[in-house]
Amino acid sequence: MKRWVEQFNGHMDAWGRKLHEKEVRIPVDLVTGIVFFLFALVILLVMPDQVTISEKDVVNGRAFPALLMAVMLLCCAMLVGKELYKLATRQPLNWKVINIQVEVKALVILAILVFTWFLSKVTGLFVVGAVFCCLGFLLYFRCRKKSYYAITMVLAVAIWAAFRFALGVDF
Amino acid sequence: MLQHIVPATGLLFTLENILWINIGVFIGSVFAAIPGLSVILCVILFLPVTYSMTAIPGMMFLLGIYCAGGYGGSVSAILINTPGTPHAAATMLDGHPLSEQGRTKAALKIALYASTFGGVFSALMLLFLGPQVAKIAAQLGTAEYFMVCVFGLTIIAGVSGKSMIKGLIAACLGLLISCVGSDPMTSYDRFTFGISRLYLGLDLAICLIGLFALVEIMAKAEKPLDRLNLDTTQIKDDGVITKAEYKRMARPVLLSSIIGVMVGIIPGTGASEASWFSYNTAKNMSKHPEEFGHGSVEGIAAAESANNAVTGATLIPLLTLGIPGDGTVAIMLSALMINGLNPGLSLFTTQGDIMYAIMLGLILVNLFMCLQGKFLTSLFAKVVSIPQEILTPIIVIFCFAGAYSVNGNYFDVGVALVFGILAWFLRKLELPPVPILLGLVLGSMTETNFRRALLISDGSPRIFFSSVYCIIFLVLIVSAVGTIVRGRMKEKKAAAQKED
Repeated sequence: MKRWVEQFNGHMDAWGRKLHEKEVRIPVDLVTGIVFFLFALVILLVMPDQVTISEKDVVNGRAFPALLMAVMLLCCAMLVGKELYKLATRQPLNWKVINIQVEVKALVILAILVFTWFLSKVTGLFVVGAVFCCLGFLLYFRCRKKSYYAITMVLAVAIWAAFRFALGVDF
Repeated sequence: MLQHIVPATGLLFTLENILWINIGVFIGSVFAAIPGLSVILCVILFLPVTYSMTAIPGMMFLLGIYCAGGYGGSVSAILINTPGTPHAAATMLDGHPLSEQGRTKAALKIALYASTFGGVFSALMLLFLGPQVAKIAAQLGTAEYFMVCVFGLTIIAGVSGKSMIKGLIAACLGLLISCVGSDPMTSYDRFTFGISRLYLGLDLAICLIGLFALVEIMAKAEKPLDRLNLDTTQIKDDGVITKAEYKRMARPVLLSSIIGVMVGIIPGTGASEASWFSYNTAKNMSKHPEEFGHGSVEGIAAAESANNAVTGATLIPLLTLGIPGDGTVAIMLSALMINGLNPGLSLFTTQGDIMYAIMLGLILVNLFMCLQGKFLTSLFAKVVSIPQEILTPIIVIFCFAGAYSVNGNYFDVGVALVFGILAWFLRKLELPPVPILLGLVLGSMTETNFRRALLISDGSPRIFFSSVYCIIFLVLIVSAVGTIVRGRMKEKKAAAQKED
């Protein structure tokens, strides 16, 4: 078992080192401007379907979200315009470096969170998800101390019990 | 005021309130002392606990966390040269050098006493200024209220993050999210996409758990495992502060408390700005500026009194206008509103006893913070050494339990997860989360006042420029934007000059 764990850790380390070298650079302000410009357009497009109004209303339920999206479009246009001007005048853009290893690790954490939610929902027992969450994170951190496993499990059950019996949350 | 103070004292001094204050102070001190865990995260995690409480114990618990957070950050700043909270960075400059001189306990005591003074001063300012500002707020109409909301959002969008435009995009996003659910004026559903559970809107606490707490868990991917070991054996000096040192501390503490209150009243600014501003002022006014950065007692006292003087001041715009002074008190607004306490003059008249009990309670919170700090600092330092492997899953369990307990269903936990993913993307795009929070908090108020004002004027936007208050707020918005933009340009110029 110990050898298997060490072999597994070795593979993960090698994979991690490879991923650590992989980076993606994005012009963050330009991308933000474009993404939210499109987002605002989509919201404006779906608004007639999503916001029911009465013909009699002087100021209806679409007025405020429409105003917000107009402001967002304006801000995005300014952001994109500023970046395009920088491109045209050959000034350096604002770049963001995305490290693939970090993103993969974040996805693993997200998977632990989603499974915790899924297990709690399917079993209807929050404590099952809580115990999985502890195991998941301790394995993620490659924790080898047995005492840590015991402490977190006890704490997980204690938190569930506190919410269940002291605060009356039924889960 | 006096007619409220006597019954308020009776409401405040109960065993339940004292207990919750102390629990809050302890939790706040521990959370703030752990680098990477913020006071806002702590308030979000423990907000659902207050849902089953009445207004006073609930607010006492949250205020305990909030105020102790101001002091707790200095513990790790002094002991290990790592600020537990961003605003403790200024304390670190002199706190750690003083600790290295073998005066750790003295440094912690200076930080504690200065924090307590700043906090009590700020609470007194809230007690005296709050009702006066509320009287002015009572004169504001719907158009003026809309302008107040725009003012608050603009400043917060401007000072959060590196770009004002991105801050505004984030604020718009927060306001849009607040539109999800039934229309506040007609009750027609909006942006529910056929999901019936969305009809009641998105609960603030659930959104915040995703935006601020779960994203921090995902951010564990960005950095290696922190190994904090706060060596409590360091705190073994006699901790004596001489008379001469007390004398030297007096002026910077008083001045920094005033600065802290002034900074705290302005929405969007916070403890960090106050502590740096006060630190610099104290340095400029000191007879021994050369000691700053090498363990100056004035430096520690100035930074700490300022960051705690912000706490009561941020509540002034919150309780009078409904505009939170910073992100943390924005969350407290929901704890108030859940108990039927809506900001404004009525809060100080019809609910006067409760309100004065909360304001007086803030003084009590600071006094208990002083007591706990005096006797439990070694314990804080020990708790701070909890390994991240244990802390991380426990925070997640708290987040999920908190999200579930709001409405008692797993749909809300899923919503919190979606907000966590959204916050991760926003982080990658360098969009600040605080304007989203403010947008979520102020959304309903902003929209309702916007639409009511337009209804009054029969759809004419002239109403937003018609009264004196509207014009004052318009001038304030323009000057605030101008100041922020000028400041940013100066920063850029200075950075470019440094590069050259």
